[in-house]
Amino acid sequence: MSNEVGLENISFSIGSFKMQDLSLDVRKGEYFVLTGHNGSGKTIIIKIITGIYRPDSGVVRLGGEIVNDIPPWKRNIGYVPQEGLLFFNRSVRDNIRFGLEVRKVDESSVVERVDRVAELLNITHLMDRPVTGLSGGERQRVALARALAFEPRVLLLDEPVSAIDENSRDELCRELRRIQRALGITVLHVAHAQREIDLVADRCGRIEAGRMQRVDVISGNP
Amino acid sequence: MICGKKPLYGKTFDILLAVPLAIYLLLIAGLTLAVFFAITPASIRQAFADNAIWDAVSLSMITTTLSTFLSVCVAIPAGYILSRHRFYGHSLADTLVDLPIVLPPLVMGLCVLLFFNTKIGLWLDRGIVEEGLFVYQPLGIILVQFIVGCAFAVRVIKSGFDSMDPAYEDMAMTLGANRWQTFYKVTLSSAAPSIMAGAVISWARIFGLFGPILLVAGTMRGRTEIMPTTIFLEVSIGRIEVALVVAAMMILISMAILIVLKRLGGRGYLL
Repeated sequence: MSNEVGLENISFSIGSFKMQDLSLDVRKGEYFVLTGHNGSGKTIIIKIITGIYRPDSGVVRLGGEIVNDIPPWKRNIGYVPQEGLLFFNRSVRDNIRFGLEVRKVDESSVVERVDRVAELLNITHLMDRPVTGLSGGERQRVALARALAFEPRVLLLDEPVSAIDENSRDELCRELRRIQRALGITVLHVAHAQREIDLVADRCGRIEAGRMQRVDVISGNP
Repeated sequence: MICGKKPLYGKTFDILLAVPLAIYLLLIAGLTLAVFFAITPASIRQAFADNAIWDAVSLSMITTTLSTFLSVCVAIPAGYILSRHRFYGHSLADTLVDLPIVLPPLVMGLCVLLFFNTKIGLWLDRGIVEEGLFVYQPLGIILVQFIVGCAFAVRVIKSGFDSMDPAYEDMAMTLGANRWQTFYKVTLSSAAPSIMAGAVISWARIFGLFGPILLVAGTMRGRTEIMPTTIFLEVSIGRIEVALVVAAMMILISMAILIVLKRLGGRGYLL
């Protein structure tokens, strides 16, 4: 299986945090979970892959292509941060449309893709609502729909269920797994809880103090 | 009274806090109403029949609006850069931007006049047009208003950018928006209330600007006379009743502009 995301000997420092010679491969179509303690560098890895951060040294590959000098808007990556970061002055529908609008996709395709992704995430009833009144779980579903609408090659999830109530976490994790399987998309998911790993992961990498400690294969996920 | 649907515990506490507000509101309302009560129908007729008054009104409106527009055009990029980037000399730049806010207006006017006495200033003022572009000219009014108005606009608009988490801009870029699209669709649209507030405060501040304009542009009737200078001229020639009419017009125009712009969205940031 070829690698969809590849980090080779990445070094990066910000403030007192240092990451050194970190390497990571996420295979095409797999669900990879990255775990580790707070401050271990998980979010930084996600931001390096998106292009928000640029590594001090090392190579970032997407689909085999070196993307170190490619800006975030040309990487075609779907990103869902912990807090969702929905644009508060837009409705749910307009949030989901955003990635398609800036790509100047024609209106009929925009409508079709937005409807399709809303159906996939069971949020059709929320579409015309402002994002300010949504619950934590609803916000994350909308953020996920927004990240999937433009059909990215990789989906990066940064603790997507940590801001929602405990009862909804398992449900959203199962749904994430179902969606990943349905779309065949490569997912890199940052998680804290073992339960999340058990529910979604094909493989799990543990990172500590900016270094990859080990990568385990998780069996039993559908 | 204050807490909406919440039960009001410790009513005396809120009433005590409301007293200074009530006193201040009474003071403002009293002073403003005093102007209107002092006006007679005859003074209104006298003022309205004077073409110079109407020239001053239109010049005030045109220069204030143009200066506000220029101020906002400069304040948006300036506020953004000051908010998002830390560069060598950032503190100095941030302080210099505030200088027109804290400088006495007359000192600022003197600085402008002094500048137009330097070689560069003389060339800028008289290099193209012999009679001058700025000194004792309407463009001088706009320049002075812009210098003052822009400082206020930068301060307010920058605070809008400061309060916006840059993570939203990063988010927009990962969704496929380039820097320009991100700035237009996310940054500006999120900062719209503060931009509107910057425009309102800038407009309100420069509409009544008097001292530095008097120094730089003078008070030539029908040429560089604006509403504040009209009040000064009318008082100096003893036509207090006409000055009061112009003052009342300024109050009404200011209130109308504030109400309209507040309704358009600058509510949260207004003075």
